[in-house]
Amino acid sequence: MKKYVRIVLQICILYLFSLLGSFIVQILHIKFPGSIVGLLLLLGCLHLKIIPVNIIKDGAGFLLGLLALFFVPSTVGVINYPELLSLNGILLVFSVIISTLLTIILTGRICQYLENRKLGEEDANDRG
Amino acid sequence: MIAVSMIIGTVFIFILMTKLNARFSTPLLLPVLTATILIIILLKSFSLSYDSYMTGAKWIDAMLGPAVVSMAYPLYTQRTIIKQNLFSILTSVVVAMLSGLVSIIIFAKLLNLSNDYILSLLPKSITTPVAMQISGAIGGFPSLTAVFVIIAGLTGALLGPFIFKLCRIEKSVSRGISMGSASHGFGVSKLTEYGEKTLSMGSVSMTLSAIIGAFICPIFALFFQ
Repeated sequence: MKKYVRIVLQICILYLFSLLGSFIVQILHIKFPGSIVGLLLLLGCLHLKIIPVNIIKDGAGFLLGLLALFFVPSTVGVINYPELLSLNGILLVFSVIISTLLTIILTGRICQYLENRKLGEEDANDRG
Repeated sequence: MIAVSMIIGTVFIFILMTKLNARFSTPLLLPVLTATILIIILLKSFSLSYDSYMTGAKWIDAMLGPAVVSMAYPLYTQRTIIKQNLFSILTSVVVAMLSGLVSIIIFAKLLNLSNDYILSLLPKSITTPVAMQISGAIGGFPSLTAVFVIIAGLTGALLGPFIFKLCRIEKSVSRGISMGSASHGFGVSKLTEYGEKTLSMGSVSMTLSAIIGAFICPIFALFFQ
């Protein structure tokens, strides 16, 4: 029981950060997701030890564990876009697939190149 | 009354689909996917509109904000591994974001899509909750974005291992980063079979990609508003 109360209280803290983020975005009139501002604020507070990790740990773990549930309401919204089942919709789906594959290949190769170069430099330093 | 039953129904169906997925482990039975399809079928057969569904479901939707904020926690606990690989992680995540954006814009232009569709496509490589928030902020349709994000995720989860072999992407860091920044959570969940390091690189780059995407997507969006 005590554990659940703690989780609920911690979720309230996380909710406050999310609200604060949305509020900041609103008063600055910028096109930016408020929750990311909240994330950065929380990260800053954790890093500067303003907030100890323990007072959000269980709440964060709980929310992240259920993450997929939270976006079900939005994905159901696709009900309003029946045009996705047309030829153009299918081509669109293919575009997303190809774009994703290109991204994996390009990123994987470039990252591997960077890693190899880093290892090469470390070897050279060891020998030098 | 409808509102409460929508909340309970969604949670119940989601739990049921999670159980189903645990029995037959394949990305195609992903709970989000099966739960969404089942709920749409149910709404259609009772002729309920999306708006009446949302009277209750909006309370579940409201948890997205705090859930995104929660991502600060894994990022904080993994700060050592980020510091160790800072340069390759940041470069690769930015490369992934740009290549995803440029390629999808080219395809969208070839298909002659309208601007609101293009805006909904831009955040497709970013984890669903953040992608939807970015989509809403730049003037896209968040629901549509969620579908594209799921397709991008499934692509990585289903074809990623094959691509790794085909293109000889063998290092754990490069596997983790490319999957995390192109196919977010779905792709990352597939990385468990490559070991702990690949997995944590994947989840770190997924989160960083979400943060970097929140800055880059609105810039690209300026061309389509």
